[in-house]
Amino acid sequence: MDTKGRSQDKPGRDISRSPGLIASLMKFLTKRKITLLAALILAAFLFIAATGPHISPFGADALNLSHRLQGPNRTHLFGTDNFGRDILSRALSGTRITLLLGLSISAFALALGLPIGMLCGFYDTFGLIVMRFVDAMMAFPAIILALSLMAILGKPGILNVIIAVGMVWAPRMVRVVYSSTLSLRENTYVEAARALGMQPSRILVRHIAINLLSPVIVQATFTFAFSIMEVAALNFLGVGIPPYIASWGGMMNEGRTYIIRAPWIILFPGIFLALAVLSFNLLGDALRDRLDPKLRRIM
Amino acid sequence: MLVSTFLVITITFVLMQLIPGDPAAVMLGTNATPEQIEQLRTTWGLNQPITVQFYRYFTNFFKGDLGESLFHRQPVLYIIGQRAETSILLGIMALLVVVGVGIPAGTISALKPNSWTDNSLLLVALAGASIPSFWLGLMLMTVVAGKLHLLPSSGFTSILATGNLANLKNLILPAFSLGFVNAALVARTSRSSMLDVLQADYITTAKAKGLSDWIVIIKHAFRNASIPIITVVSFTFASLVSGAVVTENVFALPGVGNLIVQSVLKRDYPVIQGIMMIVAVLYVVINFVTDLTYASLDPRIRYR
Repeated sequence: MDTKGRSQDKPGRDISRSPGLIASLMKFLTKRKITLLAALILAAFLFIAATGPHISPFGADALNLSHRLQGPNRTHLFGTDNFGRDILSRALSGTRITLLLGLSISAFALALGLPIGMLCGFYDTFGLIVMRFVDAMMAFPAIILALSLMAILGKPGILNVIIAVGMVWAPRMVRVVYSSTLSLRENTYVEAARALGMQPSRILVRHIAINLLSPVIVQATFTFAFSIMEVAALNFLGVGIPPYIASWGGMMNEGRTYIIRAPWIILFPGIFLALAVLSFNLLGDALRDRLDPKLRRIM
Repeated sequence: MLVSTFLVITITFVLMQLIPGDPAAVMLGTNATPEQIEQLRTTWGLNQPITVQFYRYFTNFFKGDLGESLFHRQPVLYIIGQRAETSILLGIMALLVVVGVGIPAGTISALKPNSWTDNSLLLVALAGASIPSFWLGLMLMTVVAGKLHLLPSSGFTSILATGNLANLKNLILPAFSLGFVNAALVARTSRSSMLDVLQADYITTAKAKGLSDWIVIIKHAFRNASIPIITVVSFTFASLVSGAVVTENVFALPGVGNLIVQSVLKRDYPVIQGIMMIVAVLYVVINFVTDLTYASLDPRIRYR
């Protein structure tokens, strides 16, 4: 049975259905104005991250002490900070690191969550034991666990942030994969494959993993949104990535001393962050409605 | 619940074993002689096998002994206790914002789905869920405290110690910025849950027998819609704790959240570990209480 045949059995589960990938993607994006808006914002962020320093008016770290703490004006659209650094340029430069961290953390959560969740869902005893630990991991509030892991891992650094925040979101990914696997393995085609004597590892890859795609994509989108927010919080608290790398959370932290005199230092990175989180949340909602019709009615 | 508590303590223990280096050496600093380190290791029982250490760690937790802070040189439980008042008051006030704003907003939306009110409330809820609470806090601080001078911008003095209830004013801005994000989430759940219930036959029946709209909503709809809402409200505990860490930092409040940030910056591991355990065990207990609430709300749910 090929992929096309299966997707016809279950209409609405697979984006790559008959009209072609690009066409159905366009249909998905334009169906609701708000999804289109989210996609446009994301495209803008991707563009900023890709072109980076080429489009920003100043260097992210270019000091100009004679221009310090200027409000938004023609030269410095978003104003300057206490070292005379251009806020717009710094916010643009923070985009790349934010998206990279979000992507790495989602990938980390996926790399841990997919195999563990699948095995837990497929093997009862293993699942029973491991899921208790996974649930216990979820008893630690996100930022508390991330902060503690940062303390345990030692110095602030990009890799440590990925591990700390990734470890917070991996259990949630395990949960999603686990519960989807539990329901998938009851399908007749899994039973058939088993009756035919297919190896469990082959069933997991050929029949379960393929069908986990939708819930995993949706969860990864939300993980992205939450993790960039959490990374910003860590940077804001001064325990995230090193302060010499311009990041939205770090900029907000540096601006705190001047909050009354120069609120724009905090205002603009916050707007960037909120827009990024919002667009990922919107996209996650839209993807869930599209890929999982059961939830469409509620949202 | 007992299993979860045990696992939570185990996870904390394992995580603390992963700290690179020797805790005794960390505590005594770089000038310590090997003899001093050895002595401290013996006092703390670090020389014993890991199983013995775990047993001691576990029994100590139930005796209320969470160790001693490396920095303050005081028992961890005492330090946390000192900061608890601020955090508990902040949490209660934020929860009031969550419930007081979220549930009515969601209910109003559900009564007139797709109306102008519904769409604008949804938009606010969506934006609310995407705004970082610390940013909202900083912006409120600038406008309400900095420009308008309506409320104090930061700090908090104990009410228990001074008996001055007016100090609660200091917590209004933090509670709002902390609660708003979660109120958005509760509003969305209340809306979908109420929408589901309002389509049920017994609602039509209740309306048909001439009950007023408000009685139908409160007596018939809300009670049946409340289980998902309560689930989300209990989930907000974790997210309120997370938010409180940053919010307390923003508003310079002397709470547990600020304590963990300071402890992370100073690598004060016993305090970090104590806060982790207390918060996680609280979470387990709250989940347990939530489960019990379901049974009292919906007689069909019974626990054996």
